[in-house]
Amino acid sequence: MVPVSYYLSLSAVLFTIGVVGVLVKRNPIQVFMCIELMLNAANLTFIALGRFYGTATGEMYVIFALAVAAAEVSVGLGIIVTIFRSRQSIDLDEAALLKS
Amino acid sequence: MNLQFAQLILWLPLLGFLFCSTSGLYIKDRALQKRLTTVIAPGVVLASFVIALLVTLQFGSTSREIIALIPGASIYDPWIRFGGFRVNFNEVIDPLSLVMSLVVTGVGGLIHVYSVGYMKDDRDYTRFFTYFNLFIFMMLLLVLGDNFLLMFVGWEGVGVCSYLLISFWFTDEANARAGNKAFIVNRVGDLGFSLGIMSIWSYFGTVSFYTPQHRGVLELANHVGRVLDVTGAVVPTTAITMICLLLFVGAVGKSAQIPLFVWLPDAMAGPTPVSALIHAATMVTAGVVMLSRCSFLFVHSAVALQVVAWVGLATAFVAATMAMVQTDIKKVLAYSTISQLGYMFMACGVGDFSDGIFHVVTHAFFKALLFLGAGAVIHSMLGEQDMRNMGGLKKKLPATWAVMIIATYSIAGFPLLSGFWSKDAILDSASRSFAGDGMLLYAGGVVTAFLTAFYMNRLMWKTFYTKERFADGHLHAHQHGDSDESGSHGDSHGNGSVHPSPSTMMWPLYILAVLAAGFGWYAGPYGPNGGDLLSKFLAPSIAPLSLGGLQPQPGLLSPMAGYLLSSIVAIAGLVLAAVLYGRRMESGAILEPAAAEASPLVWFLKNNWGFDALYSAVFIRGGGLLAERGLMRGVETDTINAAGDGLAKSVGGISRLLRRIQTGYVRNYALVMLIGAVTLMVGMLVGVMQH
Repeated sequence: MVPVSYYLSLSAVLFTIGVVGVLVKRNPIQVFMCIELMLNAANLTFIALGRFYGTATGEMYVIFALAVAAAEVSVGLGIIVTIFRSRQSIDLDEAALLKS
Repeated sequence: MNLQFAQLILWLPLLGFLFCSTSGLYIKDRALQKRLTTVIAPGVVLASFVIALLVTLQFGSTSREIIALIPGASIYDPWIRFGGFRVNFNEVIDPLSLVMSLVVTGVGGLIHVYSVGYMKDDRDYTRFFTYFNLFIFMMLLLVLGDNFLLMFVGWEGVGVCSYLLISFWFTDEANARAGNKAFIVNRVGDLGFSLGIMSIWSYFGTVSFYTPQHRGVLELANHVGRVLDVTGAVVPTTAITMICLLLFVGAVGKSAQIPLFVWLPDAMAGPTPVSALIHAATMVTAGVVMLSRCSFLFVHSAVALQVVAWVGLATAFVAATMAMVQTDIKKVLAYSTISQLGYMFMACGVGDFSDGIFHVVTHAFFKALLFLGAGAVIHSMLGEQDMRNMGGLKKKLPATWAVMIIATYSIAGFPLLSGFWSKDAILDSASRSFAGDGMLLYAGGVVTAFLTAFYMNRLMWKTFYTKERFADGHLHAHQHGDSDESGSHGDSHGNGSVHPSPSTMMWPLYILAVLAAGFGWYAGPYGPNGGDLLSKFLAPSIAPLSLGGLQPQPGLLSPMAGYLLSSIVAIAGLVLAAVLYGRRMESGAILEPAAAEASPLVWFLKNNWGFDALYSAVFIRGGGLLAERGLMRGVETDTINAAGDGLAKSVGGISRLLRRIQTGYVRNYALVMLIGAVTLMVGMLVGVMQH
């Protein structure tokens, strides 16, 4: 059996890749993909630990997280489409409207 | 003794005031309103007089009665109860308050009747009587109140009425300014009075004059050589002196003494009956009434008495010199009023309070008569007040001349007229001053008496004897002179010629003329029933000097010699004016206009000895500079505003720095979130490891 630390290490690596991607990418689609990566890194942790402890709680959380992620993606893509319509661009640095 | 109607003396004028002030609401017919006002306004005052007279006649042997002002209320019912502070709503009926009530309602009633004729054509006829009745009410409250607080209410009330009446023709800015000046100068005195009342409260523990348990201020002061407070402890003499001087400051303001006299000449801006009633006969004597009421306190402080006497003498002399150069007929009388008030203060200052009141009464008669006579002249001249444009009126206004000559000789101290008796009584007391300065006071008084005789006869000559200096038949109504404001005066009397006054204006003059001639004899030392009726009547209200351990010095002259000297001085003054003006029948002026203008002495006297210039420099300009440079720029702009601005600027600066953090880039915010999350996790891990 694969030790649980392997899963956790993979999860950490995936999460870090996701974080770095969110911070450095200028394309919101790519940012979204990185966010999904982070979510799934967390899901992997849930499942690994759930299996390690022999309970179904972790898997249950993953189902929830998937549902929430789906909803979030649809809202996020909607926002991106709206931004594109009003600005003809989806570059995140150009959408820095909060700056005075 | 039946005094159940005594409250009505006070309340009737208030009813008149209420009627006049509200009648416009429910009487739409203006002519009817005016007719009702004509009956009610003088009616209530005369009714008050009749009641006061009945009460005086019943008064008999009792020296004092305290009655509740509200009919049916008890004299123990409190008006204000505030912690230990307690004031009742009572009036005191004693000789002093009765004498003053009679003067106020009697002279006031006559002047009301006179005003019916004088103000006949004025647009604001009812408003005038509204103020007049309110004034009478306030003045009665002042003289009848049984405690300092009620007196203060009346004191302020007459001040308000004075302000309202001086600026009665308020569309002219000069009149409104004169009203302001009177009110503001009076505030200075009122501050002293209110501080005096507070001191009395804190030293005595009561502000009542008399109480049924003999615990009033004046009763507590009624011990030889010492003054007690309500608990029986002795009040120190320095405190008495301080209280007396503070009260005196109030009296100085109200009675137009040096240095607060500057408002009274300007107060002549009001209609002439106002000058007669308020600025000659009644309100300005409030200071003397207050000093006499507080005589029980004053006799305990020789210092305060000395101050009163010398301020009085200085005022009498200075004002008399100023009266010498005035050309406005009412201004002469205004300065003469100040001068006569100075005599009254001098009388109080040498401890002869009852002769001070004697002079108040005779002065009320002859000065009201002079003002009303001057008003009749002004009325006949269609509002002309400048004596340089008068002259020769004796032929045209013989009745007015006759009453004026009586009043003039009376104030000048012509033998056997009222003013002679009261002025001589004051001079006699002054010469016997307890402090040994009788010689100086007497000499000053005699010199002032000479000046008085001179300037009064000057007025008569300029107005009545010298050649006419106006074109009869071509007088024009003065817009804001003493004719009515709407200018209908000229229309109603037509052709611009001198015309005699209506009979409602003349009858009060005849009555006052009789009093101005004869009252001095009646109340003076050679009157009926052994003489000195007034001082004997007043005795229970007035403290003798011996109460404070003071003794009058022996007199300089025997009474007879005093009378002789006074007569000589008065006649000399009258004759001098007659001789000087008799030689100048054409111009009616001793000096040619150019010479008068060049004379530094005339300039000095015309400018009030520089008092107005001093006040304008120190208070108006100095106060303005202090406000502008010191307070506005120094405090407001440079301190308060600078502090506010500085705070706002520093907040702005800090936010300008902090704003840089907000880049607007999503990843910056994400990074901050990450740092936060990592910090949190590190912290948790550290916590977990420590356990």
